[in-house]
Amino acid sequence: MPLVYDELRRIAARYMGRERPGQTLDATGLVNEAFVRLAAERTRQFENRTHFLAIAALSMRQILVQRARTKRAIKRDAGGQQVTLDDASAPPSAVRAGFERPDPDRPGDVDVLALDEALTRLAAFDPEQAQIVELRYFGGLTVEETAEAVGVSPATVKRQWAMARAWLKQALEGGA
Amino acid sequence: MTPQRWSQIKGVFNGALERPAGERMVWLRAECGTDLTLFEEAEKLLRSHDTLGPFLDRPADVDPEDLALAVPPGAASDDGAAAGAIWHSGDRVGEFEIIRPIGRGGMGVVYLATDRRLHRNVALKSLPVALAGNTELRERLKREARAAATITDPAVATVYSLEEVEGHLLLASEFLDGPTLRTVINEGPMDAATVHAIALQVARGLRAAHEAGVVHRDLKPENIVITPGGAAKIVDFGIAWLEGPGHTHQAKLTRSGAMIGTPAYMAPEQLMGQSVDARTDIYAFGVIVAEMLSGRHPLSVADAAPAARERTPEDDVLTGLLQRIADHCRQTSPARRVRTARELADRLDGMAGVVGAAKPAQRTTRFWWEFHQGAAAVSYVVMLVPAWFARTTIGGVEGRSFFIATTCAAVMASMLRLHLWFTSRQHPTELPWARRRSAAWIRLADILVVVSLVIGAALVAAQSVLDVVLLVLAVGAAVSFMVIEPSTARAAGIEHEAGKAGGAAR
Repeated sequence: MPLVYDELRRIAARYMGRERPGQTLDATGLVNEAFVRLAAERTRQFENRTHFLAIAALSMRQILVQRARTKRAIKRDAGGQQVTLDDASAPPSAVRAGFERPDPDRPGDVDVLALDEALTRLAAFDPEQAQIVELRYFGGLTVEETAEAVGVSPATVKRQWAMARAWLKQALEGGA
Repeated sequence: MTPQRWSQIKGVFNGALERPAGERMVWLRAECGTDLTLFEEAEKLLRSHDTLGPFLDRPADVDPEDLALAVPPGAASDDGAAAGAIWHSGDRVGEFEIIRPIGRGGMGVVYLATDRRLHRNVALKSLPVALAGNTELRERLKREARAAATITDPAVATVYSLEEVEGHLLLASEFLDGPTLRTVINEGPMDAATVHAIALQVARGLRAAHEAGVVHRDLKPENIVITPGGAAKIVDFGIAWLEGPGHTHQAKLTRSGAMIGTPAYMAPEQLMGQSVDARTDIYAFGVIVAEMLSGRHPLSVADAAPAARERTPEDDVLTGLLQRIADHCRQTSPARRVRTARELADRLDGMAGVVGAAKPAQRTTRFWWEFHQGAAAVSYVVMLVPAWFARTTIGGVEGRSFFIATTCAAVMASMLRLHLWFTSRQHPTELPWARRRSAAWIRLADILVVVSLVIGAALVAAQSVLDVVLLVLAVGAAVSFMVIEPSTARAAGIEHEAGKAGGAAR
């Protein structure tokens, strides 16, 4: 899929040359930078910015899930040498978002694979909430942008977002 | 969790949040009444809500390395066809004998197999095991497969049967040997005539499917196979929704790891999780046509321009027309897209003349049509000479009226023909449009000329030989527009448009 995807990767490659190792980028910045760069080149294509943002959010989710899966597979192949959270020798970059376990130093981090699975379950009975989480978390959209993309009021987004977060937290802790 | 139950919980959850923190539990208790599980579920959610902390508070952090190393979806599925295959050459599965695994889709492995009852080769697609245990999904799959099996169009891979063998659900369909449109696009830029040929077939396939009530939902170059004979075949009708994006039952299917569909061909409404209908396929069609024309996805970054290639002006013209259709299909709002696949097929069909024009062999036949238009225009003007003499012979008001009527009709017919002649010479691609617009008027003018000539001949009566001249002219004009013109148009490859225009004129 040569679109937003490639642009996101190109931006990442540029950052890698510049930033210090282990530095992460946040979804909001990435997605907006991709939009500005793509829009500058082909102004007409993105008359609908929210369409672009939705594609970007979905792409980000796929990228993160795919990478998390690859890493888990690599780790399994390495002969069961499980790097656990308690392992003080684990390099911080190995437990970044997208990896299997959350990083205790980064309280906002979550297990992407578990989140992806829970989100897919949520989509089965509340597609709108799942969509909102995807846009907010993976796409880094603001409440207003999300409202525009989904076609509901910002107040509704806030309500749905709060409930989805509560349910997901519960689901990730094994309670649902 | 059912959607109904969830919205019940949502109601009390939101209601409780509106109350001051101290009164919530009392209110919730009263609100739930005897439904204790509802109370428990809502209470658990509220507790989770109160202890959210920074959970999902900030957008995802991304390690740039993850981004750079990510493999675009779809790329991985092309290689390792046999990975995950549970049957091998020679295995017997129900009435089928496996020849070999031929590919791997998001849902499962596709095998080439022989149907031992009918001795024909089929493509056998194993569907997710999760389906077998879900009655609702299976019923829907049966319905969709049945509907897909009713589609009879050369551009749609025929669905033969849905089988259940040893707990596996298998879909048998036409086996197609050939590269997918994705491979063809990757090989390099395609010429406009080829793009038109493929687009027309796909549009007709969509028309047949949509009229049978089946929407594809995951139309993309990977789902279009090009046979060695150059025919385009859409595959996965009736099952694309299983792995297709935006489907709520995805949950049950992707748990084992199948990736959600590729967003690149998803219409805005599909991405937003809104309702999906035939117009969603039309959006995807537009993206595919644009991609065939340029060699890259319309939303991709323009860094690697496809190799330049020799183009004729006719090629550019056809490219422009196809581009316009693609743009029209890719409108953000479904209401502003090309409305139906039928309309799409008709419009592409209408370009046959331009495709013809792009072929050198058709040059001379177009010439005769143009010659006819020019000659007819000149003849109508020359006709005014005998009409002028007839005016004086008839004399009086009748004479003047006859001459005015004949002149008006002849000038109209002549002008319109010159207009078509000019359009054909200068803007060949606009010709079908111009013909459509003017066909009814030309026909009207022709008939008026003939009628007024016949009336003129009657008025002249036996006063001079002019009546014979006028009658001969009338017959000549009638033969010209009723017999000669359709023949030249047909030979020039623009007859189809005329047929449609004739229909519109009636």
